[in-house]
Amino acid sequence: MQNSRNAWQNFDFWLFGAALLLSIIGIALIRSSIAGNIELVDHPQRQTTFLIISLGVLFVVSAVHYNYWITLIQPMYLVTVAFLLFVFTAEARFGAVRWLEVGTILVQPAELAKIVVILALANFFANHEKKALDLKTIFQSALLVGGLVIWIFLQPNLSTTIVLLVIWAAMLWITGIRIRFILIAIAIVLVVVLIGAATGFAFLQDYQLDRISNFFFPDPNARYGETYNVDQALITIGTGGWFGQGYTQSTQVQLRFLKVRHTDFIFSVLAAEFGFVGSVVVIGLLVLVIFRCMKISQNASDTFGSLIAYGFGFLIFFQTIVNIGVNINVIPVTGLTLPFVSYGGSSLLSLMLGIGMVESVAMRSPNRKQIKQP
Amino acid sequence: MSVFPQRQSRFDRWRYLVLFILIGTIFSFYILRLFDIQILRGSNFVNQANENRTRIISDPAIRGTIYDRNGVVLAQNVPSYNVVVIPGYLPADEGNTQQIFRELSELIDIPVSSGDTDEEAARNFTPCYNELGISEIVYIATTNWPFQATPLKCNVDQDVAMVVMENREEWPGIDVEITAVRQYPTGELTSEIIGFLGPIPAALEEYYVNLGFVANRDKVGYAGVEQTLNDTLAGINGTRTVEVNVAGEIIRNLAEPIEPTPGSDVYLTIDTRLQAIAREALISEMEYWNTTAGRTITNNGVVIAMSPKTGEVLALVSYPNFENNRMERIIPGYYYEQLSNDPQRPLFNHAISAEHPPGSVFKMASALGVLNEGVVTPEYEVEDPGTITVIQRFYENDPGKPQQFVCWDRNGHGMVNFKWGVAYSCNIYWHKVAGGFEDEIPDGGLGIWRMSEYAKAIGYGTVTGIELPGESDGLIPDPTWKRINLGENWATGDTYTAAIGQGYVLATPLQVLNSISTIANGGKLMDVTLIDRVLSKDGTILQQLEPSYRWDITQDPVINVYNGNNPSGETKTVEPWVIELANQAMRLVVTDGTASEYTIPRHAELFRNDSSQSAGKTGTAEYCDNVAQAQGKCEFGAWPSHAWYVGYAPWDDAEIAVVAFFYNGSEGATLSAPVVRRVIDAYFELKSIDAAQSP
Repeated sequence: MQNSRNAWQNFDFWLFGAALLLSIIGIALIRSSIAGNIELVDHPQRQTTFLIISLGVLFVVSAVHYNYWITLIQPMYLVTVAFLLFVFTAEARFGAVRWLEVGTILVQPAELAKIVVILALANFFANHEKKALDLKTIFQSALLVGGLVIWIFLQPNLSTTIVLLVIWAAMLWITGIRIRFILIAIAIVLVVVLIGAATGFAFLQDYQLDRISNFFFPDPNARYGETYNVDQALITIGTGGWFGQGYTQSTQVQLRFLKVRHTDFIFSVLAAEFGFVGSVVVIGLLVLVIFRCMKISQNASDTFGSLIAYGFGFLIFFQTIVNIGVNINVIPVTGLTLPFVSYGGSSLLSLMLGIGMVESVAMRSPNRKQIKQP
Repeated sequence: MSVFPQRQSRFDRWRYLVLFILIGTIFSFYILRLFDIQILRGSNFVNQANENRTRIISDPAIRGTIYDRNGVVLAQNVPSYNVVVIPGYLPADEGNTQQIFRELSELIDIPVSSGDTDEEAARNFTPCYNELGISEIVYIATTNWPFQATPLKCNVDQDVAMVVMENREEWPGIDVEITAVRQYPTGELTSEIIGFLGPIPAALEEYYVNLGFVANRDKVGYAGVEQTLNDTLAGINGTRTVEVNVAGEIIRNLAEPIEPTPGSDVYLTIDTRLQAIAREALISEMEYWNTTAGRTITNNGVVIAMSPKTGEVLALVSYPNFENNRMERIIPGYYYEQLSNDPQRPLFNHAISAEHPPGSVFKMASALGVLNEGVVTPEYEVEDPGTITVIQRFYENDPGKPQQFVCWDRNGHGMVNFKWGVAYSCNIYWHKVAGGFEDEIPDGGLGIWRMSEYAKAIGYGTVTGIELPGESDGLIPDPTWKRINLGENWATGDTYTAAIGQGYVLATPLQVLNSISTIANGGKLMDVTLIDRVLSKDGTILQQLEPSYRWDITQDPVINVYNGNNPSGETKTVEPWVIELANQAMRLVVTDGTASEYTIPRHAELFRNDSSQSAGKTGTAEYCDNVAQAQGKCEFGAWPSHAWYVGYAPWDDAEIAVVAFFYNGSEGATLSAPVVRRVIDAYFELKSIDAAQSP
């Protein structure tokens, strides 16, 4: 048993430092992204406020033993479903809505859902650890995820749906799914894709279909069409060179040729103004965050803690590769933000909450010496 | 803390390892991709980014003004006011914007909204020419070019423009754009000379764009001196290289702006007063004859006045023509179609482009040849019995077919010498001396080869070089030409008809005038010109007319000497006495010849007044073109004819030469001569008025 003083010695400063540094870089880049757009003027300040709140949350969550969350999983699950249902029904009245306004703070239920799914799955697999990962367990975990995902899918919010399903798959992987089940899953996915192709992807929204088709078959003449944003992102990144054009000096950003530059395409801002070196440094920081989470997962004192660290690490990994992939035009546009860096209060808050939980796991890990060596 | 059960965890290491490899692979690939984009292909993207932010703006140059020789404005730029919107500067508040729209709507009489805009309307949006309401235009402009001025209403009154300008403070985003519109104060009076402007034609777009013109904005000359002097008048557009943001808002200049160079002003040699008199004389004469006859005899004619000493064109009337003021903004489709389908071809400059048989005026070319080659002496008398018969021979030993040739006066003129041959325009005289006749004129007379030498020496068969588009070169036939084009040998009769400007001979009215003008000027073939001077906008004289001539036939040996059908390689000049005699003969035309008498009382005063001491030559050119053929008028001996007359004065020191031509006008003496004499008299009247005003 460790007392809390000993626990803080195990606090992973590498993880915390990298996350904090990324958030600060993010605020700086958001400031550069304003580029004379009046609507964006207060964003750096708002993001800073959110960062301060998030850091408070992070420390509180780290201080609390992660096992306390077990009792909260069920209520959180239900509240999230309720939120999603509300959003889902509200959508019928107001059109596509992904935000809930609570006071002056916008809460995105999808962000909440990510945390809940990670916690719920971690708890589920921790409880079923003794059994071999058989079909029944897989189905039960699928039902657990499905109960949430279905509402997000119906919103429709395809990107979050994919994130949640990927987290589920990652959890199955680490808890020891058999290779033959993976092969079966791949076969099922192929069948679904084939059926989809036969039905013309009726379950996809038009804009989603456009994005995918524009990715695979770009129209070379479409200067202001659907490919405009990614084309401009690519140009913006390309202007960076080795060391970038300098902070707030990118013409692509400052003259607003780059769109959604404070969220989806903030990586392009980074690449343009800080160049290849700056981009590699930020990617390095993100990799550091991911690896620290994985290390903490490997050294956790129990399965639940291990899966929490693993889940959040994987979430950050997945969002990072998708977002950067979109920026460098190797993945179709999805609308996933760059963890810690992109503008978005509830996203930053939930990420820092996650880091707090991972820190909580780290602090209660028995094998601290190993953790201290990055 | 023992309330929580400790659950030991140990997942397979290899599963973590697979994940780490995946993470490493993906990020390595991303970094490679970044290296490719930023380092390897960086310069390419930098260029694209620069292309994004750089815009080259062309500032239109002001087109030069066209004046006549006395400074009367013939073509000028007048401001046209367009009310425009720059959506980016409209107030952010929707209510304020709507308020502006409502107030503006009342002022410029365009509805605030004309209903919904569909994609079709947006795609087909044409500034100035649409039926959209203010909101719709603003919507289209906002989505496409929020920081460019988009016209809401074009060509508003100056008063309306003033109101908008006064309200600039209260109506942000609404402004007045002033553009130049080409206007022709003299309109129809000078449109065949001035021409008109039109959009850059698609076929020439590349050429003009390379010169700095902007397609769909800049206009170029389509006819007249607007076309031929386009380079002089247009000036050079200025360019500004600016940085713009994504909305098209100009941030700053990237390079020192190049100011537009305004076009130069052109002063023509035209005297608008004389032009007006010439046109009026032509039209009133036409109307008189058409009204008297009760049918349309002629509705197509030309008057040209020039100065023989300098080659300056003082007036050039081609009737019918067009109203170039109707083309000041756009070329209206229906009007253009109407002009194109008119059988009288108003868009065609009859003065320089129409080729007609010159008729008896051409006898002066034969006349120079006959005397200079010594075919006959001036005193030698030839018999005109009214009708002669010659044997048409197509080759040397051709037994031939007899063909009759008649004089216009069937009674004949009796014994005729050179001067009376000109004065009476005696066809038989010219047939005989040009083509030979039995023993009277042995050895085939002048012959076609030598005749064509003299015709070309006074300007037939080549363009005069007047600064107007579409000038024709006419035709001086010779045996080679006939063999190639008609597949037939030259016959004696061909020479007979060519000698009197009939048969295959074709000339433009300007060539006909210039040929007589050359004789009047003592043998100098002047370069015909319309341009007196060119001034840059700051008043510097860039070009000043210096009269020049192609050659002086009494000095420059331009006549090829022929041995039979072959040039000998030698050349010679025309003796000055030949020209002197030709002038005397043409004076005789006016005093005692074909143009000495008037046929109708209306011309009495004109013909009695000989103060100008003019000389001239009539022409009645029989023709049988497609129009006459279709009407069944082409009967032997009774062919329809064009009326020609060229006059100049004073006959011994000519300072004005005028040609008048009436299509199907029958008698040159009765229709054309009065018009020419009126213009000549007017010239001297204007001269005395000018002299009185500027001592």
